[in-house]
Amino acid sequence: MFLKRNCKQVTRLVLEAEDRHLPWVERLAVRIHMHICATCPRFQQQVRLMREATQAWRHYSQES
Amino acid sequence: MASEHQAPQSRAATAADPASDLAKQLEALRPQLLKYARLQLRNSAWAEDAVSETLLAAWERPQSFTAASQLKTWLIGILKHKLIDQIRRNCKEMSTTADDDADVLDELFDQTGHWIDAPQDWSDPEGVLNRIEFMRVLEACVEHLPGQQGRLFMMREWLELDTDEICKELGISSTNLWVMLHRARMRLRDCLQLNWFASPAPEQRRLR
Repeated sequence: MFLKRNCKQVTRLVLEAEDRHLPWVERLAVRIHMHICATCPRFQQQVRLMREATQAWRHYSQES
Repeated sequence: MASEHQAPQSRAATAADPASDLAKQLEALRPQLLKYARLQLRNSAWAEDAVSETLLAAWERPQSFTAASQLKTWLIGILKHKLIDQIRRNCKEMSTTADDDADVLDELFDQTGHWIDAPQDWSDPEGVLNRIEFMRVLEACVEHLPGQQGRLFMMREWLELDTDEICKELGISSTNLWVMLHRARMRLRDCLQLNWFASPAPEQRRLR
């Protein structure tokens, strides 16, 4: 199926989404995978925390 | 009128020499500037140049600040421009190495694309984002990135450049940039997992 992605592909897309706007097919494929996979949502949460951490680090290193 | 004339005189008599004061403050901040210049450029000589140019620019156009943190923020603002100057000047020598080209994703998944070790829950019960120890680990992990991945990550996250600008400055394709950045982010994640989340440091000091 054209929307089916495995964990490795989804992981890469989740990481790339930090730096580029994914095409809608890829966004949809990631969303579908997150519904059926127990593991990848945890990875997505790690990436979200890293985003916040990087922002906090930038603030800490530049303004404090 | 009389008091206006007297004010500067009395200030001059009590305050320390402002020039030597600024010199001391700049000298005190130099190590921090150098640390971030090195993280960005991954070359000691270029980093020294960028910091010297920053301090010189600050010395030539001194401004008064009430808090030390304001002086630092101002210097960091100048440093960012000087770092971009250095990147432009030396971009031909900024290239990838074998470490940059290794794909860490290959080691984390099996043949069918499934996780070998499932990612751990990184929920944030202890408020890691406010922990100075966590910031130090993150900084060490950035330092630990392979050279070109480190430069690109710093351009993106510390200089806050958009991807088009980075591609233009370094003459690389956007596909190449996305690959390098996703590798850098995955390495950071692995580094944080290993050096923090597997066994978080005991709490000592909070950032705010």
